[in-house]
Amino acid sequence: MNVNQFITRYRRWLIIVPVIVTLLMLLPLSKAKINPDLMDYLPDGIEANINNDKLEEIFGKFEPILIIFKSDDVLAPKTLNRIYQINNELKYSELVNDVLSIFETKYIRGEDGAMLVDPAVKYIPETDDEREQLRQELIDNPLAYKLFISDDFKYTSIILGANEGVSDEEIFEFINTTLKNNPGSEKVYLNGLPYLRSEVQAKATRDIAILMPLGLIIMLIFLYLSFKERRGVLLPFMVVIMSIVLAMGLMPILGYDLSLVAVLIPIMMIAIANNYGVHIVARYQELNAKNPNWTMVQIVTEALKQLSKPILLTGLTTIIGVMGLIVHIMLPAKQMGIVSSVAIGFALALSLLFIPAIMIKMKKGKPIKAYTTGKKSIIDNLLKWSAKVSIYNPRKVIYIFVSFMILAGLGITRLKVSVNLEKMMPNKHSLRVSTDIADAKFGGTKNINVLFEGEIMEPEVMQAMDRFETQLEEVEGVGSVTSLASVIRIISRSLNEPDSEFYDKIPDTRQAIAQYIEFYSMSGDPEDFEKLVDFDYTKAVLSVQFAATSIDELNRVEFAIRELVSQTPSATLVAGQCLVEKEMANAIVKGQIYSLIFALVAIAILLGLIFRAFSAGLMGSIPLMVTLICNFGLMGWLGFQLDIGNSLLSSIAIGIGVDYTIHLFWRLKYELSLGRSYVEAIQNTLTTTGRGIAINAISVIVGFAVLFFSGMMILKTFAFLIIFSLLLCLLCALILIPAITIITKPKFLLKNGKSISFNQ
Amino acid sequence: MKRILITTIAFLALAFQGVAQDAREITEKSTAAIEFEAMEMATNLYIFDNRGNSRERQVAVATRKFGNTTKTLMRFLSPADVQGTAILIYDYEEKADDMWVYLPSMRRTRRIVSTERGKSFMGSEFSNADMSRPNVDDFTYNLLGEESVNGKPCWKVEAVAKSRDVESEYGFKRRVSYVEKSTYLIQKSELYDRMDKLNKLMTFTDYRKQSNGRYFSYGMEMKNVQNNRRSEMKVSKFQLGTNLDEASFAVSSLEK
Repeated sequence: MNVNQFITRYRRWLIIVPVIVTLLMLLPLSKAKINPDLMDYLPDGIEANINNDKLEEIFGKFEPILIIFKSDDVLAPKTLNRIYQINNELKYSELVNDVLSIFETKYIRGEDGAMLVDPAVKYIPETDDEREQLRQELIDNPLAYKLFISDDFKYTSIILGANEGVSDEEIFEFINTTLKNNPGSEKVYLNGLPYLRSEVQAKATRDIAILMPLGLIIMLIFLYLSFKERRGVLLPFMVVIMSIVLAMGLMPILGYDLSLVAVLIPIMMIAIANNYGVHIVARYQELNAKNPNWTMVQIVTEALKQLSKPILLTGLTTIIGVMGLIVHIMLPAKQMGIVSSVAIGFALALSLLFIPAIMIKMKKGKPIKAYTTGKKSIIDNLLKWSAKVSIYNPRKVIYIFVSFMILAGLGITRLKVSVNLEKMMPNKHSLRVSTDIADAKFGGTKNINVLFEGEIMEPEVMQAMDRFETQLEEVEGVGSVTSLASVIRIISRSLNEPDSEFYDKIPDTRQAIAQYIEFYSMSGDPEDFEKLVDFDYTKAVLSVQFAATSIDELNRVEFAIRELVSQTPSATLVAGQCLVEKEMANAIVKGQIYSLIFALVAIAILLGLIFRAFSAGLMGSIPLMVTLICNFGLMGWLGFQLDIGNSLLSSIAIGIGVDYTIHLFWRLKYELSLGRSYVEAIQNTLTTTGRGIAINAISVIVGFAVLFFSGMMILKTFAFLIIFSLLLCLLCALILIPAITIITKPKFLLKNGKSISFNQ
Repeated sequence: MKRILITTIAFLALAFQGVAQDAREITEKSTAAIEFEAMEMATNLYIFDNRGNSRERQVAVATRKFGNTTKTLMRFLSPADVQGTAILIYDYEEKADDMWVYLPSMRRTRRIVSTERGKSFMGSEFSNADMSRPNVDDFTYNLLGEESVNGKPCWKVEAVAKSRDVESEYGFKRRVSYVEKSTYLIQKSELYDRMDKLNKLMTFTDYRKQSNGRYFSYGMEMKNVQNNRRSEMKVSKFQLGTNLDEASFAVSSLEK
């Protein structure tokens, strides 16, 4: 039974089953939810995560949210009043767990034989003298200067944590209302992982709500312009909708939350899923124009006979490329690989079975003019030109491609891995600006914590923490190091005269340290120590705050810390959010490499099998290699860092890009089998199949271009890079591969294997 | 009719005034019921965190009033690390307290000037303000009603801080005390934070009548219902009056 008989016999089922599957897939959609927590994107058992959990168990979870205020002088009464009001509203809210700021920190000092403990800002200055006095006090106050107020007094910050069980949405709604209720001319920027999460949540929701309909509309327009016929629009469009529903419905069924990159899935479906249907509709229109007397069944049968194999093959290669993501380490990449390969498979099946099943019962449409008038478009002229250059100047073509590849490829040495999650937001975004401010003015946004275990009050342990502090503060990029030892030093300064041997020193005896602490607790808040040491003084944490814009800078600080830890028996654990982020960066690189190798090898093997020649696999991989090298090189030159978004890109680009080469080889083989010369074969191939390839590529590019409207930088970059990659794949298929063919005259194109004999 | 109404209003106004005065009177009487000119005691302070871990401090305390100034001397008896650490507090009627601390390991006395009395006392849930007698004029008083605590009929008296400064100084916005009718002894107090949310619960137990007719609570507990920590103070020895003279309460005597 051939395909045609199969379709005719099971026509009803071929229509009903997919429709029912799609309708059923609508049900789980309501359970789909976005998970903006990037930390969940790593698999379980990551060491950095385990260490963070251990530390959280001892000292509680504290995810700081940073609010930065900017003005010419933050000590101006108006500014200070506003920030004070905001500070209090935040502090007295039930949603907020803890607030740190210049209004909450203390000014501890020794003066005239007394230890003075005051709020860092006792009152809002009214006269200029008072303002300058406060300025001097803040400069002298190590608990405020450069921690909550910048050295140029243009910035001040409030740090707060949300209470347990308070959602990101609730806390930021409250913060925004508070800011709105206390208006002022000061600029306000937000930062912190919870803020990133809430922004990702908001932007991903917005992206799904806007980009998907927009993509669909653009696709409708594109299809209409291409076919000028209702069925040409509706049939491929139905496939797109059904495969999107399947993909998105599969996520909750498989227990996946929508990640930030899951926004890509519907867009990818819009770009890819219509490809196969488009070919069939195009062939139907062509056959209809050329054979006015044929019935619909004849046309559909012929179109399928010609197309089912190349469509199946290109579909398979795309699926294999996307499946490369399954070996990625990051969970969203894996999930995307699984879901989208199933959905592309679904789209492929729909195109080969569902569309024909509907089409055979349709009335014949009017022949489309474009096929009968033979009007030449820009694309046709460009294709003619590409045939000319690749046939007559093949070496020149190869030289140009090779030199471009080398030039672009040099950029790979500049390629960096992103460790800064805020980079996924647009340039002017509050997160980006506030990170820059925090890095420059408040010692950075990165944090590594070291756990000390043992008798914390023993001078040996306390002096070790003190040694960490002094040595790490020398390391480039480190902004501040805080531990119980810093507090002990502050106490020693306020307790002893500057000429005393005890001044600014960790005491030598356990008793003295205990008494310092007791002394402080007479005037301070027991909660001041809570974040630094546990209740029975057997575990203490030392926190290193620093700025790092690249993984190298992060490694430098981490290395310095680990070296000190290795020399200190009481330092038992190194943890920190940024270390999880580093693991994530590593996972991105490793995952990228795994999925790249998987996709390349699998596709080379598949090409080899299809064309029954090792050389076909090799030659077919050339466009992919050129594209990958240029893509990563361009990223290096343009300063795009490798991130979770674009690490998915190469597998997808490989999966889609290889289709062009397959179509090209297929037609070349057919042309050569008719006894034509290489020159003729290339000319014919480029002007016929070349057109289909180009239109196909453009439709995919148009689909992905929607991502330029995303609110997230990470997706915009993705769009730019995948479009660049696909264009390059297209150029390789239309110019480079023909040029190489002219020179090498590969044998596999001449072999007339049974599996590839088809009539085109 | 009109006349009746006016009379009623006048009567009600009088009644409220009467009640208000009662609330303040009750407070004054309850303060007087536990007032001492001088005393000495040994007390254990137990500090529990929210996981049940505990710390213990043993402190000897002597208090004596000299003129308008109440002077208190506290000395740590244990744990060993802080043994000998001493605190001297001068509680003036009209101005902020003075406080000195002596650290034996450094043989050094230092004065502490802190503006926040509402903060913790020795790292416990008690505040420094809880340790000294509140100024009656810092609050306005309302009688909220009557309620029994442990079978003892009590007045429910509310004290509301008159200003934000008072709130900071004492660390609460409002305090509701249950004052036993027959003895004017506070059985328990509820402290409400600035958000007017119940923050701490203070209970007084084991009141013992002293030779001067006043009472002293041998067991106090402060429970923070927001962070689930609590502290207890148990008096092991109590003696009315003290043999210590004014010189013993001098700053220079701390180092002796």
